[in-house]
Amino acid sequence: MSDMSDPSGRRRFLSAAVLSLPLVGGLTACATQTRGLRANRPANLPTRVELADTPFFPDESFYCGPATVATVLSAAGLPTDPESVADRVFVPGREGSLQIEMLVAARRGGAVATVLPGTLESLLQEIAAGHPVVVLSNLGLSWAPSWHYAVAIGYDLDASEMLLRSGPMKRQQMAMRTFEHTWRRANHWAFVALPPGRLPATALEADAVRAMVAFERNAAPKQAAQAYRAGLKRWPDNLVLAIGLGNASYAAGDLPGAEAAFRAAAERHSASAAWNNLAVVLDELGRRPEAIAAARKAVELSAAGEEGPRETLRRLLGS
Amino acid sequence: MKSVKRFLSMLMIVCMANLMLLQAAQASLIPTDQVARSEASAKGESPHDRLSNLMSREDVVTQLEKLGVDPQDAQTRVAALTEEEAVMLADQIESAPAGGIIGAILLVFFVLLITDVLGFTKVFPFTRSVR
Repeated sequence: MSDMSDPSGRRRFLSAAVLSLPLVGGLTACATQTRGLRANRPANLPTRVELADTPFFPDESFYCGPATVATVLSAAGLPTDPESVADRVFVPGREGSLQIEMLVAARRGGAVATVLPGTLESLLQEIAAGHPVVVLSNLGLSWAPSWHYAVAIGYDLDASEMLLRSGPMKRQQMAMRTFEHTWRRANHWAFVALPPGRLPATALEADAVRAMVAFERNAAPKQAAQAYRAGLKRWPDNLVLAIGLGNASYAAGDLPGAEAAFRAAAERHSASAAWNNLAVVLDELGRRPEAIAAARKAVELSAAGEEGPRETLRRLLGS
Repeated sequence: MKSVKRFLSMLMIVCMANLMLLQAAQASLIPTDQVARSEASAKGESPHDRLSNLMSREDVVTQLEKLGVDPQDAQTRVAALTEEEAVMLADQIESAPAGGIIGAILLVFFVLLITDVLGFTKVFPFTRSVR
């Protein structure tokens, strides 16, 4: 993984190799998030948490990807096992699993998979909220990587320790500082997989929206609607979520729900797509004149070259 | 033979892309991911067109098969990707980190032993970092 090589990591390794053990102190000069968090503890963050009920699927080989996905799905009330997940995520030729496909596998298992902002605090906040977190670590070095997925299930700020379901270890205790180093070498990548309707404690709006739109692609419409509804509660101003709720309700056969969602979106955002979709639903509800008015609005607000709304209006006027 | 195959598959892709565009024009509801994309491009994030998306999917299927994934699984796996994911995966499938554990490790066993003890790495379950 030469493209992941991190000059500061290499420099640290070189100095580590040259220096003898008693001189180690000087190498830890860089300020870590661990240190910051312990010095400045967020008021709402408990000192120690352990999600002891999180299931455990021991893995001795290359299946840490399937095992971690199975772990978080089962913890989210969507029971499965690594063997069933493997066909969806494992890449034999790479002897591992790719990050994007990890998210997809969690979605196909019925969960909304949301990438977290890469801070240690966000990680701990999620655990404190009861959400086990899948983390990618580079256990090796930047120039000799050893990629590994694990599930963070607990921490202890006093002892400065992380607790992980990791490979064959049911309860790996790792120094928080060491964890931070291995996680940083994987660009602080982490995600939570939660049942639709449940939101991550710390996800950014853009990441949560991306996760829900992706979920709609793989999920039953009713579940997608549930996810969007929860998202809108936290981010009521988000147009994409509002359209998503309408589309998912429509796909679930809930026309009144779809109408309400599109109307709310149309009025709040004066967006062409919202008016267009409202027009379609109104037409299906047998309210042609209202539908035509909405479609005109959609055309009026549409960008040049956007054919959808024009087509809708043409169809409503023509048939 | 190979180039003929390649030409035919390109032709298929273009036809399918046309078909999808046609459907998009006739289908009535504007899908959520399309709204998400136009929101993203309004914010200056780069959108990608349908054609490159389809080619990416084709690419990923081929590459997954080459990497030993069952052809049928490869199809369903790629179908489950969003457009954004398909494009990203097509780009990085060979180089992206594949979490599996321990590839080149024997080579640098001792180095890692030392860095483990220093607490910079955590390869071996039996090491305990000095701090």
